[in-house]
Amino acid sequence: MAGLELTDIQGDILRAYGNAYRLTTYLFFRIDDADAGKTWLRSVLPRVTTAAPWPAQFKPRATLNIAVTAAGVRALGAGEPRDLGFSSEFCDGMAASAAILGDGGPSDPGTWEDGLHDGTLHVLATVNALGDDELRDALEGLRDDAARAGGVAVAYEQPARMLPNAREHFGYADGFAQPAVAGVDDVDRRVGGGVLEKGAWRPLAPGEFILGYEDEDTRVDPERRLPNAPRDPLGRSGTYMVWRKLRQDVALFRRTLRDAAARYRDGDHEKLAAKVVGRWRNGAPLVNWPDAPPPEPFDPKNPHVNAFGYAEDAAGLRCPAGAHIRRSNPRDILGFETALSFRHRIIRRGMPYGDPLLPEDATDDDGADRGLIFVCFNASISRQFEGIQAQWLNDGNALHLGHDSDFLLGHPLGTGKMTIPGRPPFLLGPQAPFVTTRGGGYLFVPGLRALATLSDAQR
Amino acid sequence: MTATGTDPHNVDGQAICITVFSAVKGWGKLWLPAVFLVARYRPGATGKLAKLSFIHFARWTLVREIAGKRLRHPQLFFESNFNGGWQEYIDAFSHILTGGMKTFWGSSYGFPEPLPTGPFKRYIQRHELVASHFYSAYPEATTTIVLSALALDGELRALRERTRDVDPVTFAREWDAFLEKVQADL
Amino acid sequence: MSADVSGQAFALTVLTPIADGQADALRGYLERLRDGGSRGPLARLPRTHFGRWVIVPGFVADGEREPDQLTTPQLLFTACFDGKLDSYLTELATELAAEADEIWGRCAGCPRPATGAALKAYLMAHRIKTGFFVAAYGKATVPEVRAALAQREQLIAFAREAQEMDDATRRSEFAARFGS
Repeated sequence: MAGLELTDIQGDILRAYGNAYRLTTYLFFRIDDADAGKTWLRSVLPRVTTAAPWPAQFKPRATLNIAVTAAGVRALGAGEPRDLGFSSEFCDGMAASAAILGDGGPSDPGTWEDGLHDGTLHVLATVNALGDDELRDALEGLRDDAARAGGVAVAYEQPARMLPNAREHFGYADGFAQPAVAGVDDVDRRVGGGVLEKGAWRPLAPGEFILGYEDEDTRVDPERRLPNAPRDPLGRSGTYMVWRKLRQDVALFRRTLRDAAARYRDGDHEKLAAKVVGRWRNGAPLVNWPDAPPPEPFDPKNPHVNAFGYAEDAAGLRCPAGAHIRRSNPRDILGFETALSFRHRIIRRGMPYGDPLLPEDATDDDGADRGLIFVCFNASISRQFEGIQAQWLNDGNALHLGHDSDFLLGHPLGTGKMTIPGRPPFLLGPQAPFVTTRGGGYLFVPGLRALATLSDAQR
Repeated sequence: MTATGTDPHNVDGQAICITVFSAVKGWGKLWLPAVFLVARYRPGATGKLAKLSFIHFARWTLVREIAGKRLRHPQLFFESNFNGGWQEYIDAFSHILTGGMKTFWGSSYGFPEPLPTGPFKRYIQRHELVASHFYSAYPEATTTIVLSALALDGELRALRERTRDVDPVTFAREWDAFLEKVQADL
Repeated sequence: MSADVSGQAFALTVLTPIADGQADALRGYLERLRDGGSRGPLARLPRTHFGRWVIVPGFVADGEREPDQLTTPQLLFTACFDGKLDSYLTELATELAAEADEIWGRCAGCPRPATGAALKAYLMAHRIKTGFFVAAYGKATVPEVRAALAQREQLIAFAREAQEMDDATRRSEFAARFGS
């Protein structure tokens, strides 16, 4: 397998920039004039951060990455996305996949924030910064360039920032469990990292996440055909990105757990909280720490945090079958090693937005908007991201959980339940709408050469 | 395309139907009937299929003649009633029933290998027919739910028998034991 | 046991030639059977687990020499049902009289009106025997499946409420809802 051309792939996909970048702003632009859009894109191109490793000890003050929607491809005058070979779900936009994604009721696209969808948003500039000054400088630069070019306007600005201890708003440590990718994590043969084949774990083919490279299908194809991608030079080194603004009703979640804990015989609301997700709040997985969390301080880089499978916990007595992490990445538990799950992995890079609901045990809502900006990367939105949402999160059939959906994400009607296996089991409910979608879109993250093509940069 | 990855006419609630015809090579005329026989009488032969548990009912049939006229190339007719998604269904056939796919479709003209999945899916798509009307008697129930419901029925009968005349405290104990036994089916 | 049977479930396959020029009208009729939220005629045959009508316009050639051409499109009807074939077809020929005339009445060689013994004979004559039939729960009838499904829903609801009941209430509620 050829090595990965890291200088052509954008950064933060294969390897995270890291928690030092505690501030992120997602700046969406609307292109009103194709030439102006290209001019602006050419001006930001030199600042785009690639996947090339940084010299030791060096960290750029801020990183910059660019993604485009189907509407953006059109607005830049590149042509009709469908004709260029972009996938149909990307061309149709995320709102068209509402049924697949479970975006109904309070998450219905009709309820989304004004203009926060890929029909009107064209280009996303993601800035990750070490601090406030660095962030401000980077954003000013982008706005100034747009003003100079004319015909390019800021359409939506979404700030986000890390919460203390890398938690998200429900209180769980998050973001450290990612798939093992060949060419990036070749030594990563940990249990649960990639593919389980004939009893041994190996990393996933890079084409599952970066276009222009061999994916898992290529590996078994005598003709070694590469996966579908937009026509070169647009496709190579690119990937599809899903961006979703997910509001979290923290007060409701806390109240539900505390109320249910009164009837839960096997522990307190912290244990229930762990059962819902599959990890204790500090990130330790229930599979490896079934009765109590490891004491603080707990290092999420501890290998037992991510090196595990569920084969020894088939009944789900440690980590419930319906727990969020078990649903979103079933690892080896769907049967036949990872044959039913290995082609549905995603790389996640989200960030929380909004102020925490304080104090930590407050159960009354303060009316403030808070939640998670969910971001993931995959070579195929329909097979990977949509597959996870439709088959594993919004329904229980694949996991033998009837019609139960992921408890953590909530249910619009508030009637669902989650079975917490035990002796005896506990039926946790009601499953209220803890998480609602406020908007978002499907985007494409072009490689550097592709960006140059999109912006008509002379090479 | 709906959330199921197939034409809406192929869907009733959670149930999805697939109908496929493929022309069979000469040797298939002998091979397939033998395959059917073996599949019927060797219970282990369909173990993987059962373990996949998203198929309600499925069938294969060799159609040798139509309207009294013998076909030059018999048609292998396949239909299934299943749950999940079309993509996931064919993926499972591709990755897990690889041997089975070759056994049943290996004698069909133009059949590519089951892996990689791309050409296999395209082959199925070309040969698949969209239903004009598809009906399920219990559209919201998936196969696993039906199996769970049937298992629960047996256990519930047993519980009723066991607790016919017991006091509330004994019942509480029996109830917990019952829940513990059937929790995977709730 | 014949290849058409698994447990007590039967796999029926019927292939009938569509009369000249009737394919589009037939397709349209079939596609409209679920209009207005209707469950369709098969709901009136309570022994039917699954059923479908599919128009087969022709066969897809894949490199075979002299591929077979259908002189006319075919109507495929399949069903997975409980019990014996003979009584099922009798029920179908009676219960679905109105629809059968619109469906098989548009097929070549079908007696008009398409009902009763004549329809049954026509369907029998065009039946194709199954090669291999696999059923996940072939021993369970439709009423048994439906009853089990409803009971499971009730059981889950009870189990959730029972978590908050005292022993006496739980005992009496169980007896009330599920019999003693």
